Amino acid sequence: MGIKIKKKKRGVEALKSRYGRLFVLPWEIGLILFFVMPIINSIRYAFSDVRIVSGGVDTKFVGFKWFDYIINQDPDYLNRLKDAVGVFLVQLPIILALSLILAIVLNQKFKGRIVMRAIYFLPVIIATGVIIDYLSKSGMIIGATSGETAGTYGNMINFDKILENLGLPDELNELIAGYISGIFNLLWNCGIQIILFISGLQSIPDSLYEVAKVEGCSKWEEFWYITFPMLGQNILLVMVYTMIDLITTRKYIMSMAFELMSGQQVYDKSSAMLWLYFLIIGVFMAIILAVYNKLCLKRWS
Amino acid sequence: MTLFNKEISPIKAKQKATSIIVSILRWAFLLLVGYIIIYPLIYMLSVSFRHVYDFEDQTVVWISKHYTFDNMSIAWKALQYPIGLLNTLKTEIVSGLIEVVSCSVFAYGLARFDFKEKKLLMFFLILTILIPTNMIMIPLMLNMRYFDCLGILKLIGNIIGTDIRPNLLNTPWAFYLPSILGVGLKAGLFIFIFVQFYKGMPKELEEAASIDGAGPIKTFLSIVVPSSGVAFLTVTIFSVIWHWNDSYLCEMYFTNSDILAVNLSKIYNKVSAFGLDQYANSSSGAVMAACLLFILPMLIMYCILQKNFIKSIDRVGIVG
Repeated sequence: MGIKIKKKKRGVEALKSRYGRLFVLPWEIGLILFFVMPIINSIRYAFSDVRIVSGGVDTKFVGFKWFDYIINQDPDYLNRLKDAVGVFLVQLPIILALSLILAIVLNQKFKGRIVMRAIYFLPVIIATGVIIDYLSKSGMIIGATSGETAGTYGNMINFDKILENLGLPDELNELIAGYISGIFNLLWNCGIQIILFISGLQSIPDSLYEVAKVEGCSKWEEFWYITFPMLGQNILLVMVYTMIDLITTRKYIMSMAFELMSGQQVYDKSSAMLWLYFLIIGVFMAIILAVYNKLCLKRWS
Repeated sequence: MTLFNKEISPIKAKQKATSIIVSILRWAFLLLVGYIIIYPLIYMLSVSFRHVYDFEDQTVVWISKHYTFDNMSIAWKALQYPIGLLNTLKTEIVSGLIEVVSCSVFAYGLARFDFKEKKLLMFFLILTILIPTNMIMIPLMLNMRYFDCLGILKLIGNIIGTDIRPNLLNTPWAFYLPSILGVGLKAGLFIFIFVQFYKGMPKELEEAASIDGAGPIKTFLSIVVPSSGVAFLTVTIFSVIWHWNDSYLCEMYFTNSDILAVNLSKIYNKVSAFGLDQYANSSSGAVMAACLLFILPMLIMYCILQKNFIKSIDRVGIVG
């Protein structure tokens, strides 16, 4: 008897949950049609021979054939994978740190803050992959991150000349030039991150800082004991966003698979390429998120 | 009195000095980084109006000696600007706006109501953010080519004997449909932002409305929507900008329509059709002009909205 009563919700509650379902019903349909089904299909393609026939595609299960081919016979793939993982692991912390620093500076109160912020949010608008590509092609920025050797920083600032005049060894010159152009690319990837961090900084109550001031904390302590822990969830979101941004840039494996797919209409091999890439990057992502969760979020909450 | 003042002044002077030093350092840092950020824009402007002669001239750095509108006119034609702009507005921007509306509705359902599958749906929400669309592009495109709802249309087609599955490629519906269903471009992130915002809103207003006899839908329309303008503004700007800039999905779905982003991604080929050598320095003038034309509408929108946008970022509290 008791169970029966428990099962039946009170009228208003039942009505509310019914309305809740009504609100999300179209989204559920969308999830099935444009998310779950495509994922299942895409995994299926990776494990089969896909032939394009009239009225769709014809699939035949072949097991790990494509994965085997990619790993053992395609030297280009593994090299690109290595590059992609390397860039991912290097750029993620730098972007996070850089955008946090910029967000903190831009969040301080000073004259001309609005103008400065307007400038710093510009990359959000301009920084599309295509335009950055063209800028580097036209010689303005050097694609140090894409593995090319450093060239000139456009014809406007000739960093090479300056560096040559310093009389440093060539390897060091190249390294420094690489870093300079790298900073450019990284800064341009920071737009959204700065916005997300600023909105997080704004939600930290001022009273905490006032208490810290009364207790005689230094700015450094304020940062480590107030700002950083209070941004916990925010950093998580920025981290996830940056990760996705980094793995979807049209370079390395993404461009390779995309060309196979739209150029040659090879669907099986490219699916396998994408999933292997996502799996390996996903392992790194999971490790980073788990470590962050254990070391930071758990301790702060 | 004057003596007293003199006694206290060294401390004040020291404080003032540190604050001046801090602000100088801050400005130096901000200007340096800001220069790097704004540099490409200046570069685009400078190169777009540069004459062919000046590309080989080593003395020309920022300011060209000869100005020309040739680059602009080539870029204008290569991008198919008026038609491309119209097409982009009709497909990308409209679907971006639809996405804002649909995401706000679904997020309200997730934020304020309790039902059994909610946990599962939140899990899927995180998954949609984590698994990029690029991973599932092939099936998505095939899905658009032979649009079907769980094989129902195919079944009917088999019975009738003709294929009635519509081809959505090259039609705006390839963008509208996912947007309406809240699974379009970065929709997961938008729903997440809305959910966080709604959760941070005081419940009392909505409760008062429901006591006054308003149903959930009316409460949503007349209480929740008007008081979440900040979230709407932020999401709208992001949505419009990302839709505008998106070239991945555009290239997949539109093979023969003039969409600005698609034309821009093929600009080197298009420019060479106007007699410019795509490997020569001088072609970068036209390419940069095309980039400038491409970002111009977004730049104008940004200039108009930036004050509200920056203020809204302070208040939206994206992570709650």
